[in-house]
Amino acid sequence: MSERRLEIPRYGWRTHGPGFAMIAVLLLLYAGGLTLLEINPARLITGFARLGDIVMLMLPPTPETWSRFLVYLDALGQTLAIAFLGTLTAAILGLPLGFLAARNIVTSRIIHFLARRGLDTVRSVDTLIWALIWINVVGLGPFAGALAIASSDVCALAKLMSEAIETADRRPVEGIMASGGTRAEAIRFGILPQIMPVFASQILYYIESNTRSATIIGIVGAGGIGMHLSEQIRVLEWQQAAFIILMVLITVAIIDAISRVLRRNIIGRA
Amino acid sequence: MLVIDGVSKVFGTTRAVDKVSVSIPAGQFVGVIGRSGAGKSTLLRMINRLAEPTEGRITLNGADVTALTGRELRDWRRRCAMIFQQFNLVGRLDVLNNVLMGRLSHTSPWRAFPRLWSREDRAIALSALDQMDIAGLAAQRAEDLSGGQQQRVAICRALVQEPEIILADEPVASLDPRNAKIVMDALLRINKHFGLTVLCNLHSLDLARTYCDRLVGMAQGRVVFDDVPEALTESVARELYGMEAHEVLDADLGPGLMSPVPVSAAA
Repeated sequence: MSERRLEIPRYGWRTHGPGFAMIAVLLLLYAGGLTLLEINPARLITGFARLGDIVMLMLPPTPETWSRFLVYLDALGQTLAIAFLGTLTAAILGLPLGFLAARNIVTSRIIHFLARRGLDTVRSVDTLIWALIWINVVGLGPFAGALAIASSDVCALAKLMSEAIETADRRPVEGIMASGGTRAEAIRFGILPQIMPVFASQILYYIESNTRSATIIGIVGAGGIGMHLSEQIRVLEWQQAAFIILMVLITVAIIDAISRVLRRNIIGRA
Repeated sequence: MLVIDGVSKVFGTTRAVDKVSVSIPAGQFVGVIGRSGAGKSTLLRMINRLAEPTEGRITLNGADVTALTGRELRDWRRRCAMIFQQFNLVGRLDVLNNVLMGRLSHTSPWRAFPRLWSREDRAIALSALDQMDIAGLAAQRAEDLSGGQQQRVAICRALVQEPEIILADEPVASLDPRNAKIVMDALLRINKHFGLTVLCNLHSLDLARTYCDRLVGMAQGRVVFDDVPEALTESVARELYGMEAHEVLDADLGPGLMSPVPVSAAA
């Protein structure tokens, strides 16, 4: 056996230069952005004082009357329904679309390319923009809100699922094909069990995050608690606005806790 | 009689399998041996039609199976069950459902998709597991089992297909010696009790000599040896395995290159 010499790696500008250069570029961009938007630290300081005033005006948060509270509760229920229906619609449409966009399922390059590009295009339009579009199509209200959430998430979910399908282990598929199963059966039993935990936990995550989205699209008139929130801010009823914000926070926290328990159970079992 | 007649498989410019012709009478336990990359795996996969032959014919009792499609192809795959080195089970499904995958070609899609297996199919699957002494694991997830247990589940899946031929592609290469013996014993039992033809790719010469009625040696895609195990002399084995000979003939060759290599670092 010949004697081997180990070369100790040399560190210098060649190895570390690119990293330092990247940090310098980012700092320059940040400074550039500040000047471009004419951001003045002095204005921020006076602004902080105003923010303090608003917080003081918010205290204590209160719905004023019980009937108002019930109105807000009803609107909050509407927001939850928007999030739930929107997410579920996205899930029902997104799973088959995910298969369509997975290279190992649809072997036609043209269909795969069109599906991927189509999903990317629709996905790049934000929920808020979808809400503005759907309000003009079906009118103000929760229906437009649910449609907005469904349209923006169907593509995000489809893309996630297509990636899960593409990275799924292909040995079970081969095992089923070799036993005389059809391609459909190979997908049903070889791939579906592998992607279901990902699918379920994504749906839970989306319901959670869509509760927040549904609040925001309410502000532009797509139904739910957001409508009341924007209304109360407009008429400077800060205490009521603060109460609504508090209701949303608590709701999101509850959904977060429930979905955490469900997700742990799903990933733990089949 | 399974007849492989002048079968080749070409990947790009390499001939993975090169004009192989072998006839295997029903009920024989045939070991296919040779170094990695000799074309053993491709040959088995072509029989099951997981890989398509570039040329040549494969026939069973005179019926050509090389051109089958659709329903007939699936029935052919049912008749020549495949066992894989990596077991190829559905990890997240329970053991019984994995075995029931072997009943897919006996089940209508309307019952298979929602997993509404008939009582008879469930009984068949369970009794197959019982024959392999793992009926108690029926409700466990396949991925939670040890390698040896998983391979026995895979054998059950193969058995419930009611096949005529078992194609085993390196079935024990991922297993420790004790589990390798359990799995090879199971294959031998299937061969002797049910009279199923077994075609088994093996890397280990020891196992091949112990279990097989006949050995087919492959090198560079060609058949270079085809005889009873007793006819396999050490020189033939060395030729078959080349640089890998010391792995399969470990008893005769000593420890090999296992001594630590001194390393000196440069400042």
